Amino acid sequence: MISFDNVTKRYPNGYDALSQVNFSLARGEMAFLTGHSGAGKSTLLKLLMLMERPSNGRVLMGDQDLARLSNRQIPYHRRRVGVVFQNHQLLFDRSVFENIVLPLRICGFDPVDAARRARAALDKVGLLDKEKLNPVVLSGGEQQRVGIARAIVHKPQVLLADEPTGNLDPKLSEEVMRLFQQFNQVGTTVLIASHDLSLIARMPHRVITLNQGRLMTDGK
Amino acid sequence: MENNQRRKGAVRVEPTPKRDAKVHRGAEHHHLNIADKGRSYVRHNIEVARQSYYSLLSQPLTTFMTLAVLAIALALPGALYTGLKNLQQLGDSWEGDPRVALYLKLSVTDAEAETLSRKLLLRDDVAASELITAQQGMLEFQAMSGFGDVFSFLDSNPLPAVVMVMPRDLSVASVPLLQAKLQALPQVDEAIVDMEWVQRLVAFVLLAERLVWVLTALFIMAVLLVVGNTIRLSIESRRDEIIIAKLVGATDAYVRRPFLYDGVWFGLAGGVSAWFLIQFSLFWLNGPVEQLVGLYHSQFELTGLGFVETILLLIISILLGLAGAWLAVGRHLREIQPQ
Repeated sequence: MISFDNVTKRYPNGYDALSQVNFSLARGEMAFLTGHSGAGKSTLLKLLMLMERPSNGRVLMGDQDLARLSNRQIPYHRRRVGVVFQNHQLLFDRSVFENIVLPLRICGFDPVDAARRARAALDKVGLLDKEKLNPVVLSGGEQQRVGIARAIVHKPQVLLADEPTGNLDPKLSEEVMRLFQQFNQVGTTVLIASHDLSLIARMPHRVITLNQGRLMTDGK
Repeated sequence: MENNQRRKGAVRVEPTPKRDAKVHRGAEHHHLNIADKGRSYVRHNIEVARQSYYSLLSQPLTTFMTLAVLAIALALPGALYTGLKNLQQLGDSWEGDPRVALYLKLSVTDAEAETLSRKLLLRDDVAASELITAQQGMLEFQAMSGFGDVFSFLDSNPLPAVVMVMPRDLSVASVPLLQAKLQALPQVDEAIVDMEWVQRLVAFVLLAERLVWVLTALFIMAVLLVVGNTIRLSIESRRDEIIIAKLVGATDAYVRRPFLYDGVWFGLAGGVSAWFLIQFSLFWLNGPVEQLVGLYHSQFELTGLGFVETILLLIISILLGLAGAWLAVGRHLREIQPQ
């Protein structure tokens, strides 16, 4: 589903965020991406989101070579991907429900259908009773679950997460990870960047380790 | 599943296939067909137009200030244009066609004048001629000037007979030529071309027209800048929303749309306000103008913006609002990218 083929990302200042990274993730697989901060985890996710383009090598998603997508096609690529951010990236000028329904609006879903799907997503993350609240009144864990609901509401083929448990205590972190596992069980390919090694160790999933932009270990 | 029931207005969804527990599948991805996309496009436009309208209303002070500036910037060229139109109409109502007035010598009798008028008609360079006898002239003078009583103090009619000649060739060069020829006729005391002030008016209107164009161009720029700046601030204040929308797959068109509608609403509301400003100013001017015109015994009437002109004003305003928004959006949305 995801394939990195000798990928290098060099920033204009000469810094290599990734160098010659090779790995691939099968359809329906779940993996953790780990490494120290600055190891290139975020860069790798940005390449998958087409927020950045590689300096060298090829990134594939599905059968699509991302280098072949023009800037105009980027939005349609992003609709196939769900992303969960460490800082949630929620909008505090609208309700939880409005936050979650946003990707569906953008994809052009019928409002009735979109509302049904948004509630289903909220139900999955256990926040159906909070749909009318402003996300600002929710706890950190709840906000993160809203972020997850927004990432999966349009049933993306691939779910990416950048430090989704960064600000959460161990119990909440584990809950969030269980959610990701659930989505993986219904067939979504999941890649989670995290440096919470103890949590990762307790999960039976593949771990890809980056160190200073290079792939160090890959496997479980 | 509920998906299979075709609910009214619901997007058709692929039926969920029976799940095989052993095999991992990708999550079902739902495709929207072209008709759904079209419907969603229209729906989004309506929704965004409405939201944009309400968001402008939710900041009444900012909106009012912007609108006031827009209304003035749009009303000034509009008012100048209306003024110009009225001036042109003034020139027309006094008729721009130059005529040569032949004041005949007092010794010429009415019969001789009549003969002269007929003879003039036969000339190649004369299109028409009309005799105003001394008697007619007096009656007209009495009727027009209000000094009718003056004649009762006089022994005889002091007015000469006049032949009004309309030249065939109306060009500026040939009219004075004809004037000179007619002046040479023995019966003619004086040949006067009654077009100087009309010419001056026409020249003045031409100049004013240019001036109006220059000012219009300047005010158009002002409108673009005002709308552009307002939209720029609006884009800044919605930065987070734009970034998130882009992250979850919003196209540039989607992100741009609300701001373009802001521009359209500003344009429309500015145009309507400008219309009221113009019509109100004219209404206010109408009294003094009527008084002035009355002194000149003219049929002139102050006219405001007609139906077509009103529609034109509104369309131009909307287009300017849209263009201003487009300029701001094009520049600033590109800068806002998720990091």
